[in-house]
Amino acid sequence: MNDVAALGFGMHPWGKFPEKRLNDICRVAVESALADAGIAWKEIEAVCAASSRFSGGKGWGLNGNDVVEDMGSTGVPVYNMSAGCAAGSNAFNVGYTMIKSGVHDVVLVVGGEKMPKGFIQTSGLEDATDPEYLRQRCVGLPGPGFWAMLTRARMEEYGTTEADLAAVAVKAHQVGTHNENARFRQIFSLEDVLNSNMVSHPLRLYEICPVSDGAAAVVLCSAEFARKKTTQPIWAASTAVATARFDDGLPRGLACVPGEGRPHHSEARISVAKALETAGIGPKELDFVELQDNTVYYELAFPEEWGLCEPGESERLLHAGETLPTGKMPINPSGGFLCFGEATTAQGLFQICEVGWQLRGECGPRQVPNARIGMAQSIGLGGNGAAAILKR
Amino acid sequence: MSEQGTIDAAEGLFSQTPEGPRLLGSRCATCQTPYFPRSEACHNPECENSDMRDDTFGPEGRLISIALQNYPPPPPTIAADPYATYGVGLVDLPEGLRVIGRLLAEDPEQVPVGGLVALVIAPLGQDAEGREVLSWQWKPV
Repeated sequence: MNDVAALGFGMHPWGKFPEKRLNDICRVAVESALADAGIAWKEIEAVCAASSRFSGGKGWGLNGNDVVEDMGSTGVPVYNMSAGCAAGSNAFNVGYTMIKSGVHDVVLVVGGEKMPKGFIQTSGLEDATDPEYLRQRCVGLPGPGFWAMLTRARMEEYGTTEADLAAVAVKAHQVGTHNENARFRQIFSLEDVLNSNMVSHPLRLYEICPVSDGAAAVVLCSAEFARKKTTQPIWAASTAVATARFDDGLPRGLACVPGEGRPHHSEARISVAKALETAGIGPKELDFVELQDNTVYYELAFPEEWGLCEPGESERLLHAGETLPTGKMPINPSGGFLCFGEATTAQGLFQICEVGWQLRGECGPRQVPNARIGMAQSIGLGGNGAAAILKR
Repeated sequence: MSEQGTIDAAEGLFSQTPEGPRLLGSRCATCQTPYFPRSEACHNPECENSDMRDDTFGPEGRLISIALQNYPPPPPTIAADPYATYGVGLVDLPEGLRVIGRLLAEDPEQVPVGGLVALVIAPLGQDAEGREVLSWQWKPV
């Protein structure tokens, strides 16, 4: 089995770009990643792409084909991966596996998305047998409400306060303000966050990620190829994908079985555990994590669920500054989804770019000191979960 | 009640039975896993023989969490006009099922997590034709 190097990282900044086509922002990300890797487009042997939900791809999720046509149709194989908001990480997993197994030497992984306005409508179906449709029709619980339900359960269990929740958003912007690729770079005070509109009690506007446009790309290659290009490659130590378990107590539609323990995203827990196991490290050995913070709740709950810290400990670590880049458990040094906004299927790859840049020590004021190993994690509709661990 | 009458938010999910309101679901006779809505097959990976029978659930459960919907959601959600913030409860039923549903409460912000709730069939609001749209809801007891 070949070792897998992440040779190049590229991104188009996250924002709203009504004047640009999806191809235009993807091209910026791809050209940046190629330049960063020091290779030409013609050297790419295969493309693994996130299938977009909202844009491009000829309406069939053929976003990798769009990229190949735009960059120059070289006849390379294209793999379009659909996994909701985990699609970028899922594409990364497939690209990694192609190189690991020796099928290809150089693979481009890419994800780009232009989002419609407003909060995301989770399901694309108007079908009385679709559980997402029924949830909206018979109850009315959009994404923010779903997150609010998880958040309130945590407040009841651990005594988490509204000020604790707001402090997560304050910390995210304190870090993200230094990220030129982030969209929301304002500094917020605790009062600013607490004074923002209540969207779905107990969650406020500044505690929930809005939607954005964005694109990111990564060049993966074999160790042999990497040695020709650099003396200090970033290695992809592991990737893992998973789907939700039947008994995780989290109703994705109208109901579920309670299972054991509190409701949680088993797809996240399983993919992270598998990525750690494959990398041969424990959760506390990660120098930092980029996790999917659709809302502040996840930055408190996920580290506990994955064993980065003890259950109920997250608020203390947050207030002690331990989740800042300079702390003992840095979370989302990029600023996370709260500062980027969500370009759904591209999200997993902006995270992986950030992990790569952190490991190279290129992140300036938001740098995690001496970062040697980091993880990116995302989840998506359908109970999809994915994690990737990079090291230097 | 609206002059235009009533309509169920979706067919086959709930019923006003002689014993009171019930959710209409199913249960696997092999592994006893309950399902709502009805399921054609058992999804329990440990179950070796899917054997689905109709079953009903309710009328009482315990609230394990609440979310408030502070802004009017887009269609297909039905809500009161003018809009009023409603609550959504996550409820554990003694039958081994966890079900979401709208909270039927004057002031959803005052409803405590951990309390008992009863199943009721009640209007969510009116549709474009002026009909009352009925769904199952959880009423604090």
